Amino acid sequence: MTENNGGKYRRVSGEAVEYEVFARKTRVEPLHQVGSVVAPDDDLAAAYARATYDEERWIEMTIVRADHVISLWSPGES
Amino acid sequence: MSELTNLVLSIADNKQMLGLRYAEWATRAPSLEADIAAAAMGLDDLGHSRVLYGCLDPLGDDPRGPERESDAASLSALPYFDAPWTSWGQFVAANAILDTAFSVMIEACVNGSVEVLQHRLRKMLNEERYHFMHGRSWLRSGIDAKPLDEAWREALEWFGPPDGDTAKLHREGALSLGPGELRARLEERLETTAPKLDLSWKGWDAKRRRTSPGAIDEQTFAMLRGLEEKRFAPAAKPA
Repeated sequence: MTENNGGKYRRVSGEAVEYEVFARKTRVEPLHQVGSVVAPDDDLAAAYARATYDEERWIEMTIVRADHVISLWSPGES
Repeated sequence: MSELTNLVLSIADNKQMLGLRYAEWATRAPSLEADIAAAAMGLDDLGHSRVLYGCLDPLGDDPRGPERESDAASLSALPYFDAPWTSWGQFVAANAILDTAFSVMIEACVNGSVEVLQHRLRKMLNEERYHFMHGRSWLRSGIDAKPLDEAWREALEWFGPPDGDTAKLHREGALSLGPGELRARLEERLETTAPKLDLSWKGWDAKRRRTSPGAIDEQTFAMLRGLEEKRFAPAAKPA
């Protein structure tokens, strides 16, 4: 059903991309990555993130397109 | 105000059926994320139906009678939910059109003059935001016209005839929107206009808020009453 093609996924709903999901439980802790979802647009990504990661009592949740994240270095490159 | 309790019961019955039909797709949707979303939205709507049923007593005129235990046709859900959906397009049309129609009506209750509805239903609208985003996105990816037209027809009928109980509740202030405004609000939210439909109120059942007879399938009705569960229970020991 899903085929990864250089960061893009071919789904029944068309092209889809990966979104990273960030959340936190209290105001004093920073947002941290809790997982990712694959969706063709921001609306569906938000709905999927909320449905998939809503088990905990988060006070904040955000999503970011994975291809909008600028990597400075990766493991083994520092 | 029996018109209001009938309306609230209809929202509750429809949300219950919507939740059950969503849940039936929790392992049949086109992707794992969509499976999970179907399960989550199903849980949300079943929870919403519990809250709505809980409003009937404080409203002072609970219209539920014993017939609901034996007659599936006494429930006030739309024909769209009478049988399990057989295509993803039916799921999407229900998610985008009917779920949003119920939200628009709930919004009219929250912004109306009845305190218990103002307070208890507000939280639902926050959760419904994600149902709307899910439905709108899938709708944009394109589905067959048939389930879409069917969902639009049933949503517009469910809002009620121009001179019916919804209009009366609007005049009295219990609802902030009448049938025409509800339709306009639904079209505005979905950023489209309803297809050209020839609505006829000939068979309109004001209590069940539908124009055609019929009822939910036998197995779903048995499951709602717990009979399906009893089927699997160990036989009682003789006294």
